[in-house]
Amino acid sequence: MLNEERPLLEVQDIYAGYQDFDILQGVSLHVKPGEIVCVIGPNGAGKSTVFKALYGFLRIRRGRVLFDDRDITNIRPQDALRAGITIVPQLRSVFPQMTVLENLEMGMYLERDKERVRRRIEYIFELFPRLAERAKQKAGTMSGGEQRMLEIGRALMWEPKLVLMDEPSAGLAPLITKAIFQQIRRLNQEIGLTVLMIEQNARQGLEISHRGYVLELGRNSYEGTGRELIENPEVRRAFLGGR
Amino acid sequence: MDQFLQALINGVMLGGFYAVMVLGFSVIWGVMGVINLAHGELVMLGAYITWVLNKQFGWEPFAALVVVMPVMFVLGYILQRVLINRVVERPHLISLLVTFGLGIMLSNSVKLIYTADPRQTKTALSGFWRVGQITFPVTKTYILLAALIIMLLLYLFLQYTRTGKSIRAAAQNREAARIVGIEIHQVYAITFAICTALTGAAGMLISPTQAIFPFMGPPLTLKAFAITAMSGLGSIPGALMGGIVLGLVEVFIATYIPGIGTNLGIVSSFVLLVVVLVTRPQGLFGGLQPATEVR
Repeated sequence: MLNEERPLLEVQDIYAGYQDFDILQGVSLHVKPGEIVCVIGPNGAGKSTVFKALYGFLRIRRGRVLFDDRDITNIRPQDALRAGITIVPQLRSVFPQMTVLENLEMGMYLERDKERVRRRIEYIFELFPRLAERAKQKAGTMSGGEQRMLEIGRALMWEPKLVLMDEPSAGLAPLITKAIFQQIRRLNQEIGLTVLMIEQNARQGLEISHRGYVLELGRNSYEGTGRELIENPEVRRAFLGGR
Repeated sequence: MDQFLQALINGVMLGGFYAVMVLGFSVIWGVMGVINLAHGELVMLGAYITWVLNKQFGWEPFAALVVVMPVMFVLGYILQRVLINRVVERPHLISLLVTFGLGIMLSNSVKLIYTADPRQTKTALSGFWRVGQITFPVTKTYILLAALIIMLLLYLFLQYTRTGKSIRAAAQNREAARIVGIEIHQVYAITFAICTALTGAAGMLISPTQAIFPFMGPPLTLKAFAITAMSGLGSIPGALMGGIVLGLVEVFIATYIPGIGTNLGIVSSFVLLVVVLVTRPQGLFGGLQPATEVR
């Protein structure tokens, strides 16, 4: 049923990189509303570069990005946000000296209606009761898993249509990773959150995803449903450590 | 005992000036990772603006703040837009060279216009208050008061305004600031402008108590560096404590070690810095964190 909908995000054959060298050499992918889509691939395949290009941190030299039927190729970060895309970066991105509450407020920095910000914070606190308990705590003093949850909460403040997650499991212990993945799946089921994520932890990432892409040497090499990729013998051998 | 108390009071008063003097330097370092070697020259400019208003128009130096701060704000904004934004986020050496060159330009321009003769402003707020055997120099008391008010206003601004929050956010995590939609170069320009205004205000504060001359800047930059390294980047309580510690050390050395006078100021600030860095490498108040690097 999902498959008949128009894609929310459509990346068409993009080339992007640093100076003279294109790290991405023809990446195409799409995300439909309500989907979790996971991009896997070896180190250096350009997974994070895809996000940098989508979010305007890096220039796209060729190809197009469509979002919500609009051309958003080489959009500025603020405008990506206004269009409805937020991002949870791979590296720690909380504001460590600010409280949990202030961090969430910063998620809606561009919104000037304070009442709306307050309502969104209440909503996020309902979704993540753990964050509500820690509202007054400095974000930098929380555990890695809690900080990751705060980063996701902050990305949801903006009521995004699409959240980009760059290795949500990076730097987390296996049990915490599992909990974060469960949260992502829960958000997808409960509030229909659409997620495009990059994951080093390929098997777990694919397990909670509707579809996935394999990125190799700056291009996509395989695509399919999460299950198809997990069961594809070549993908298994190359990326999942199985036989 | 009286001599001790007197030194204590003088040290705290000097420290209040140092705290305001160091804030601009430390916030710029904390927010954009630029070590502004022209810092002392910006203090000098603030002092000269005050002197011109005082000498030629008969203004009270403290009243000159209402001119000094806006003028320096605009100057800071322009400097950032045309110069510093081009070197921020590049290797440190480049911004060091640019600000070093800027300092030389500023001091020599002022020398061409006003010569190298030392100047001083005259304030009506002078004389002494006596409490028992202790004297409170009136001018320095007002300087301390003005310093505390400026610091309080900066604190409230950073803590509660939208722009203030965006400055703190940029200092704490540059990439995260970008992803929540903060226009980072705009934040840098506002930060540099505010810090330049603060630094100009410090120039006003120093003008009634010390000689003003075009080359007064470098020792102030060195002291700002030492205090910042001791007390942490962009921390207002840290700047206040670090400033007072340095003020006390300088005054106590001048009081109790005869024949040295105040010339050991720079030396004592760096001895203090070395002692702090050896015993507490994270800085006196643990605030020494560089701005995050981002591609």
